[in-house]
Amino acid sequence: MKETSKYPSWFGSLLLDENNELEDTVLHIKDIQFLAETLKDYIFTKPKMNFTGRNLSEEAIKCGFVNSKEEYYSLLHQVSVKTVKLQLAEMEQSDLKIIQAINALDDIDKSANELSERLAEWYGIHFPEIELFGDELAYFISKHGVRKNIGANDNYFNLAESSMGISFNDEDEDIITEYSFNILSLYATRRKIELYIHEQMDIVAPNLSNIAGYLLGARMISIAGSLEKLAKMPSSTIQVIGANKALFKHLRSKATSPKHGIIFNHPTIKGSSWRHRGKISRSLASTVSIAARVDFYSSETILNDDLAQQLEAKIKSIKKL
Amino acid sequence: MKLSPVSQGVYKIQNGTSALVTYNSVKGKNVYGEKLIEFHGDEYREWNPKRSKVAAMLMKKFKIPLVKSSKVLYLGASTGTTVSHISDIVTEGIVYSVEFSPRPMRELIKLCEMRSNIIPLLADASNPSSYSAIVENVDIIIQDIAQPNQAEIALLNSDKYLKPGGYLVLSIKARSIDTVENPKKIYKSEMNKLLNSSSCCFELVKKSELAPYHKDHLAIVAKAES
Repeated sequence: MKETSKYPSWFGSLLLDENNELEDTVLHIKDIQFLAETLKDYIFTKPKMNFTGRNLSEEAIKCGFVNSKEEYYSLLHQVSVKTVKLQLAEMEQSDLKIIQAINALDDIDKSANELSERLAEWYGIHFPEIELFGDELAYFISKHGVRKNIGANDNYFNLAESSMGISFNDEDEDIITEYSFNILSLYATRRKIELYIHEQMDIVAPNLSNIAGYLLGARMISIAGSLEKLAKMPSSTIQVIGANKALFKHLRSKATSPKHGIIFNHPTIKGSSWRHRGKISRSLASTVSIAARVDFYSSETILNDDLAQQLEAKIKSIKKL
Repeated sequence: MKLSPVSQGVYKIQNGTSALVTYNSVKGKNVYGEKLIEFHGDEYREWNPKRSKVAAMLMKKFKIPLVKSSKVLYLGASTGTTVSHISDIVTEGIVYSVEFSPRPMRELIKLCEMRSNIIPLLADASNPSSYSAIVENVDIIIQDIAQPNQAEIALLNSDKYLKPGGYLVLSIKARSIDTVENPKKIYKSEMNKLLNSSSCCFELVKKSELAPYHKDHLAIVAKAES
């Protein structure tokens, strides 16, 4: 009895005899969209098979799928580009959106701070006695503008009356209120992004945000690269992500190992005494890794309260030591 | 200005300073912000050895066996910096470019749409059967992936796709295999894995570190037994 095997290629199935010689072919129809979709579905199954590579371009001509090498490569080029585009469009991307959002949040923090500092300096020429910063100052300026607009029943009325600052004319006032409006809108966007991350984290990683908090959880996903990568990390890595410098110093020389990376921002670690921090961050990291795995691998992501309770009990017992 | 060939399709342009260039097959377009140089009506693209390991290898006097009709399997194509130059060289051949990460693939796909001899593959190089439906047997495998198991990946792919007598070109990034270990030790163990494997027989052609262009990288060219 003859033994035949099947070799799936992008233009059809090749039937091979026992010596791996081409015996017969089952060709697909020559349509780019169809070929690309078939190929994408095939790659999606992550095929694992034993085979030896073949001279596909010659075989495609031999079996009459194409007439020339030029035609083969130009068709293959179109099909493969299409396939990759289909693959890219179908990627699971919900954690990518969270990563972009959390990075945008950090960017806004940085620039809003810088802009607010400039605003304080600028308005300080006119009204140095005012002791407001950030969004409060921006709000104050956008509401009142220059000193003389501050009403008699405002807290700052007396200070404004006796201010040593130089006076601003209408043009000065226009430009500085415009600037402070921009800062205000930046702070408003920041609040919206934070809300958005909260909502998305509840959908994508409810357990992780329950344990770590949604902002810290999002930061962890961002540093790991994706929820999948975070779920695959050992908890010892999760414990020190964000402490790269200290970790490599430890690995290369005789420095002590870092106790905590970004996980330090969790209130239970930040709020406890330094003697307990190492132990707490270890148990927190292990709980985080379990939570990330539940979120990534379970078919339905439902909130599991047991994890949080176990962690709480563990932290209590650590603090008794 | 003086133009002298380095290897097929790759030239050195001397104009005060010397630069490695390839003939630009898509006239007027640069890929990653590199300089375009006009010479006797032809256009060349500068190939920066600090950005591309293959260019660094050419600067280090490696003979890279790329010819016009070469079929190339490029593992770890990234955004296509090096792949674009390879595509300049193999004008009558084909470059199968494997990249696993979606982000650089978005850039690579733009490049592929301009150059018809690059075939993009969004797949994992450690599982060669995931692209067996497309990739045929090739003359040369170029590998530039920073993975701890990069020697195994090279062997797996050579076993499947490299023609007898074909070449394997790869660079070992010591820092991605072990951040702490002495690079020399890593090179030795990786070379051992490559040259003494049971699946493929390789003969070492040349090896050299890529300093000063790339730190802690060892480049290797090996020939498969014919």
